[in-house]
Amino acid sequence: MVQAGEDAEAVCQQDLPQALKLLFEMNESADKVSSLVDSMLSQVKRGELATEEGLSFLEVKYHTLLSYLINLSHVVLRKVSGASIYNEPCIDRLVELRTVLERLRPIDKRLKYQIDKLVKTAVTGESSDASSFRANPDNMVSKLDEDADVNEDEDAATEKKSVYVPPKLAPVRYDWDESAASRQEKLLERAKRRALSSAMVRELREEFLDAPTELGSRVDSGAGPSGPSKEDRERQEYEETYFTRLPETKDKRKKRKLPTIGSLANELTNFESDFRVLEGEVMPTKKRKSSKKPTGKKGKKGFKKRKSR
Amino acid sequence: MTEGTATIRTRKFMSNRLLNRKQMVVDVIHPGQASIAKTVIREKLAKMYKAPADTIFVFGFKTAFGGGKTTGFGLIYDTLDFAKKFEPKYRLARHGLYERPKTTRKQRKERKNRMKKVRGTKKTKVGAAAAKKGKK
Repeated sequence: MVQAGEDAEAVCQQDLPQALKLLFEMNESADKVSSLVDSMLSQVKRGELATEEGLSFLEVKYHTLLSYLINLSHVVLRKVSGASIYNEPCIDRLVELRTVLERLRPIDKRLKYQIDKLVKTAVTGESSDASSFRANPDNMVSKLDEDADVNEDEDAATEKKSVYVPPKLAPVRYDWDESAASRQEKLLERAKRRALSSAMVRELREEFLDAPTELGSRVDSGAGPSGPSKEDRERQEYEETYFTRLPETKDKRKKRKLPTIGSLANELTNFESDFRVLEGEVMPTKKRKSSKKPTGKKGKKGFKKRKSR
Repeated sequence: MTEGTATIRTRKFMSNRLLNRKQMVVDVIHPGQASIAKTVIREKLAKMYKAPADTIFVFGFKTAFGGGKTTGFGLIYDTLDFAKKFEPKYRLARHGLYERPKTTRKQRKERKNRMKKVRGTKKTKVGAAAAKKGKK
C-alpha cells in the first residue's frame, strides 16, 4: 500500500499541469452554461417560449435529460469532495434514466420526419392548415438516374416482346472488355490442353517416352486421366460425410456394362479434331454432344414416324 | 482370419459426442481375395480401438472395380445401451439385438379394421383375441 501511495504521488506530479488546465476549462464552460441557462429562464418567465403545445414525447425526453444531469452533478460533487459513491441511490437513478434514454432513441428516429416538418413550419411561420402534413408520394421516388430510364422503357418494351431473354441466375465470369482475338487465343489454349491429354497423345507418349506405364486399375472412381471425375469425387465426398450410400444412377449402370462398338467408334473418329489443334492449323470448333433422339415409340405427333422411302 | 493378410485403415475419424460414438470411414485392402466378412472387420476394429466388438457396427461396404479394396463405414459406440438407443433397428437385427414383430402387413391392417367396429376398452379385447380365434 505504501508503494502504491508513492506511485500515486509520482503520477500526480506528472499530471498536475494538465489537471489544472482541465479544471480551468471546466470553470469557464460552467460559467458559460450558467449564463445561457439564466437567459433561457428569463425568456421563459417573460413568456416568449411557449411550451404547452409541444410533443409530449419531447417533453419526456427533456425531463429525463434534466434529471440525468442533476444526478450526474450530484455524483461529481460527492466524488470531488472525497466522499464515496458506494451504494448511492443516485447511481440507481442514473442507470434507470440512462435506460429510458436508450429506449427513447429509436422512437426519436422514427419521429424525425415529423419533428423536422414541424420545425420547418415553425421557422417559416405560416401554413396553419393540416393538409400540409399529408404524405408526399413524390418524395418516395428516388431521384437518381431515373429520368433517362423512364423514356427508354417505353420504346424498348415493344421490341423486347419478340425476343425472349432468359433470366441470368448463375454467376458467370466477366472478363472485362475482352477482344475477340484474346478470346480466340484462350479457346485455342484450352483446346490444346485438352488435346494433350487425349487418348491418342497418351498412347504416343507411352510408346516414345521412357516413363513406366501406369495401369488404371479402378474404372469406377479412378476413371479419367486425372483420377476420378468431378462427379465421382463429389459423390464420394457426400457419401463419406453423411455416412450413406447413394444409389447407382442409370448412366453408371450403363457404363459398368462392357463398352460397346458404338462407343469405341466414337473414340476412334474423334481424334482428328483434337490432334490438329496442336499444330495450330485448325481453330477449335465447338463440340456439340450428339443429341439424344427420342427413344420412345411415339414421336411428337403421337404416331410412329415412318422412314420415307 | 484364414484368408491371410488384409489391412484395415480408417479415415475421417470423428468422435461424435452428440450420439456418444466414434465414426470413421473404413478402408479394407485385400489384394487377390474376396471382400472380407463384416464380423472379421469388427474384430479387427475392436483390436485397433480397444473397444468391445459388440459395440462396433460396420455397414455400407462397396468393393472398388477390379477388386483389392473395399470401403465402408464404421461406428463404435461408448456402451451397448447407447448403441441400442441410436442405431437403426435393421442394424441391431443384424447383430441379433432386435427382433422384428412377425405380424404381416395384411394382418395388422385387418386387426385395425376389426378394432374400428368397436368402441372403448373393448378394442383391446375384442379386436385382437376374438378375431384371431375367428380366423383360425
